[in-house]
Amino acid sequence: MSASDDQTDVERVLAGDVSAYEGIVRCWQGPLINLAYRFCRDRGRAEEMAQEAFLRAYRGLGQWRGDAVFSTWLFALATNLYRSELRRIPARIVSVPLEDIDEPADARASDGGLEDRDRDLAVRRAVITLPAKYREALILFYFHDMDVATAARSLGLPEGTVKARLFRGRDMLRGKLPQLMAVPRLKEAL
Amino acid sequence: MKRMTEHDEDEIDRVLSREDEILPSSGFAVSVMDAVRREAATPPPIPFPWKLALPGLVVAGLTLVLTLVAGVAVIAQLGRTSTAAELSMSWQSVLTSIFRTGTGLGLQRDLESAAIWTALALLATWVSVKLSMRFASGWE
Repeated sequence: MSASDDQTDVERVLAGDVSAYEGIVRCWQGPLINLAYRFCRDRGRAEEMAQEAFLRAYRGLGQWRGDAVFSTWLFALATNLYRSELRRIPARIVSVPLEDIDEPADARASDGGLEDRDRDLAVRRAVITLPAKYREALILFYFHDMDVATAARSLGLPEGTVKARLFRGRDMLRGKLPQLMAVPRLKEAL
Repeated sequence: MKRMTEHDEDEIDRVLSREDEILPSSGFAVSVMDAVRREAATPPPIPFPWKLALPGLVVAGLTLVLTLVAGVAVIAQLGRTSTAAELSMSWQSVLTSIFRTGTGLGLQRDLESAAIWTALALLATWVSVKLSMRFASGWE
């Protein structure tokens, strides 16, 4: 769906055609659920949060002035909601101590260390354990295909602030996962 | 803290940008639209009638200001004219006047004062009842 399709749907909804909102929901349900999932790592909760985001967007549709792309406005609204929700009820994975993340006793085991999947899981879990401002910057940056400007717009922060948080967040990740980062990937080692 | 190496950055970029996409459940859009239709069917919340309430608020504000000004004026007057002894004297005169309420002049003054306060209270009640009725009729 293009930006003009979004605009057409929004105009129809504002004119009283509620069913036109379905086009917006069908178009953006995937991205909004996936963004929510990156915040909470719980599929059921992600759908609940995305539904609430769509409802809030519906209520506030008249506030979208059209000066920004609809998706930018929608992502900013959803991000704001997800951040509030996660502050209210933190993701369950946060309570899992980092020490509990599966790691080999010897990082340089004979098989070359963790399998990719385990390592990926550990890194993603480590992101969830970061302080909110670094976690949010990292989540939005990677969700938006490493586009700092878009992530900054979604977070409602200056680009410089987001860059600083990304730098610090990655540094903290590196500190949390020294063994994981030190082990070269298996396929690189071969 | 150790500086992050280029390899580490690449590794983090690789892991975090290669997330598996989850697909929305089949009934998600329908469920959202049901909620949206319920929302659309719900009448909008009744806004507070600021226009109707404004006269009452202005009157209440003015009354509050006048009360404060009068209070400050009385305190200032007391501060100017009375020492501790004078105060005790004035209290004595107050007590005396209270005990004299049986006399004709004292009784008349007290009755006048009571009538004024009663009239003011009735006026305030009438105003508040009228305002309440006006608000109530404004909702419809």
